[in-house]
Amino acid sequence: MKRKLWLIFGPVVCACVLVFGTLLMPLHFGKPAPKKLAAAAVSLNQDVLLGGTIKNHAVGADYVPFIDSSELSRMDPFHPSVLAAKYGGYKTLLLGGPGTQSLTQFVDNQSMFKRLRNRKIVFIISPQWFTPGGQRRDAFAYYYSPMQLTSWLLGKRGGAADRYAARRILQMGNTSGTVRQGLLSVAAGQKLPQWQRHLLKAHLQILHNEDGLFSRFASVSKNATRISKAEKKLPASATDAQLDKLAGKMGAHASRGNDFGISDKFFDSRLRGKKIVRLQGSQASFDYRRSPEYSDFQLLLRNFAQNNITVQFVIPPVNAKWAAYTGLRDDMLTQTVSKIKHQLSAQGFNHVLDMSRDGKKASYMEDTIHLGWRGWVDVDKTVRPFIKQKQATPHYHISNYYLTRSWQQHVGE
Amino acid sequence: MDTKETVLNILQELTGEDLHDKMDEDIFATALLDSMDTVQMVLELEEQLGVQIPVSEFDRDQWSTASKITAQVEALQ
Amino acid sequence: MPSMQPYANPRYFVILIAALLPVIIGLLRGRRHRNYESFVALIFIIAMFGGDKWQQGVALIAYVIWQLLLVVCYGKYRQTKNAGPIYYTVLLASIAPLAIVKLTPVFSPQPSLIGFLGISYLTFKSVQTVMELRDGTIKQIDPLFFLRFLLFLPTISSGPIDRYRRFAKDYNGVPKQDEYLEMLRKGVRYLFQGFAYKFIIGYVFGTLMLPRVAHMALMQRSAMGGTGISWALVAYMYVYSMYLFFDFAGYSLFALSISQFCGINTPVNFNQPFKAKNIKDFWNRWHMSLSFWFRDFVFMRVTFMIMKKRWFKNRVRVSQLAYLINFLVMGFWHGVTWYYIVYGLFHAGAIIINDYWLRYKKGKSLPSNRWTGALAIFVTFNVVCFSFLIFSGFLNTLWFTHAIR
Repeated sequence: MKRKLWLIFGPVVCACVLVFGTLLMPLHFGKPAPKKLAAAAVSLNQDVLLGGTIKNHAVGADYVPFIDSSELSRMDPFHPSVLAAKYGGYKTLLLGGPGTQSLTQFVDNQSMFKRLRNRKIVFIISPQWFTPGGQRRDAFAYYYSPMQLTSWLLGKRGGAADRYAARRILQMGNTSGTVRQGLLSVAAGQKLPQWQRHLLKAHLQILHNEDGLFSRFASVSKNATRISKAEKKLPASATDAQLDKLAGKMGAHASRGNDFGISDKFFDSRLRGKKIVRLQGSQASFDYRRSPEYSDFQLLLRNFAQNNITVQFVIPPVNAKWAAYTGLRDDMLTQTVSKIKHQLSAQGFNHVLDMSRDGKKASYMEDTIHLGWRGWVDVDKTVRPFIKQKQATPHYHISNYYLTRSWQQHVGE
Repeated sequence: MDTKETVLNILQELTGEDLHDKMDEDIFATALLDSMDTVQMVLELEEQLGVQIPVSEFDRDQWSTASKITAQVEALQ
Repeated sequence: MPSMQPYANPRYFVILIAALLPVIIGLLRGRRHRNYESFVALIFIIAMFGGDKWQQGVALIAYVIWQLLLVVCYGKYRQTKNAGPIYYTVLLASIAPLAIVKLTPVFSPQPSLIGFLGISYLTFKSVQTVMELRDGTIKQIDPLFFLRFLLFLPTISSGPIDRYRRFAKDYNGVPKQDEYLEMLRKGVRYLFQGFAYKFIIGYVFGTLMLPRVAHMALMQRSAMGGTGISWALVAYMYVYSMYLFFDFAGYSLFALSISQFCGINTPVNFNQPFKAKNIKDFWNRWHMSLSFWFRDFVFMRVTFMIMKKRWFKNRVRVSQLAYLINFLVMGFWHGVTWYYIVYGLFHAGAIIINDYWLRYKKGKSLPSNRWTGALAIFVTFNVVCFSFLIFSGFLNTLWFTHAIR
């Protein structure tokens, strides 16, 4: 009987040992091919954001991370990746997607921030993130990376900021098992028990190996071809003024079919007809001044400071005609932007490009809240020298006041 | 006429085949009998031989050949 | 506590098989630990309906008590008497919970409070028990055994649908050691075939391809004069059909595999359905435990009744009417929506046409060779895939819902 049992279950046991053995071994994977890395860096794919392999190799190859939500998916010929490739001589690593906010970016980029010590990044911070609820739970779950969160848990934890972060992630309600146990410990200000650390480490190894294995089969997006096509539409060399003029022309042409200066493609598919009628006055009660997002954002700032990263912040505008149509309050928006700017400057973040007053410029925005054509040219005017020139070493002084509810609810004059 | 002959007559009418030499051929496996034929067979057996065969008694394995059917009917008589 | 769905991920299998280890060892030694097995089942059922699914759990308990009461009382009654009206009343009472659950979405946006995952599969078992009590083929009901039959863990949520007497034969005996070793071998095979079907092939079709073709088809809503008929829709039809088969067949294989480990020969559910040569053949290969249930408890009973009472003289008409009733009931069972009902009607129509063809063919000497066989399989496959397109409800999305956003 024993022989027969072995004949039946032997292969299963061997298969399990092989699979788990492989996944638990500290495997090393070779570098991805440069072409593949280049395509993945601009793909905006979810697996790039959640993973580690692609990001780490890109940072190792001197790519500049651009962090955002959905801004960078608007790829016209003046998109930062296009201008960088055409004139800038640097490469962009695009990280974000519809619905990514501070907390998501904080969790998903844990392994990358450590590798960015003393380096530069660009961060597009949208006022639209700062809703009364803050990070959307469904979006957090969609962009949740167990690997990144596990590696965060295994780092040295303690102090108000870590407790706050653990609490916020728990509030998202999508974690389970050992990770959740670990979060509960951190939130309570306790050390993780040794057995928990071992479990998390084993799990992290499996996740690392999966990431290394499967990032080779990552689905390719069309962005790389879109960018090289867009490059061909630009002259070999151009001054900022010439680019601005060309952008104005292209923008006017692409948005001639509607009164908002919005790209016709976007307008026709998302707004034309009944849809836009329903949206009139729909944003009158929007308020971005009080939000837990301010403290989530602070988690990122703290991470930047710890790793001595120099950050160029960009605050994009809202399409002025659109804001007027939907009733979005201008004074509310102004107060939001000044609150964000205060949080930045008070702690030593001095590179801030505030475009919030530019929403009425022609051919400036591709749609309602996303930059386009001339807007991108303006971004490039600041970002290119920021990256190309040497910047002074930043001096940050982080304050935990920004993690408190009183700051979240604070409204200035 | 005895039970066996009656059964074979009924089956011949339904399948169009004389099963005298194939008493142990599986009439379901060879698709000689479909569900409709089965119902008709049960009805004919009830009528001609005076047995009561509940439809759910109809375990296909036990009614799958001419000789099995004969045996089942005889048991019910 | 989050609820634990059957066969959802590798962890479930590890926990389940570990929990069943004493049962397996017992069977190897020629002993069946029935109480322990029931205890494991109970724990897993609690885990299945725990957490935010507790309402379903309560519904399940109420449902089981209701069915137990019906079956036990009717069993007692049937030992002495056998009146038709009583039988029909009990039958209706047994079907009633499922009927309410299926009809609720027609009248209300909220799903019925008495529904739970797997209600239809439990209903098949209890309705069948009532019918067999009426026939006298089941003589006595042991309440505890009935519960074990009804709540047999491997098949609780999605079948295959076993029969009372067949289950009893397995459950009340113990397989011989070499028989059981063979069952274990089959169990492992089914398990890994199931993994390949559900988690690999089903994943490729269902998770990777299906959303893409669905999106492509929806982008072409206005194609062909507003009918939305496009190549993308054709692609959707095939991808969905493949997904449906591999996902469901994989799930059935899991149920079969765990049944084998428990020493129970649960009937198989699929037998290479896409090799079917005609629609009748297809229904002998696709979701077999369901189609055989319908054959034995709907189709055969309907024809039996019609023929016995001589409502129709013509045998062809009788079978056509029975097919229509059979597949309509099956359509309604899937859910009260236009596309499930059309799916049922479509299959009834297909099988009636199939019968015409078979009758026409009978007397003639038409060519029959490899090529005609291949043609038959090809035609059947496409007819079936089209029926799955109806079944998928995608046409409803395509035609009757507005674009989201």
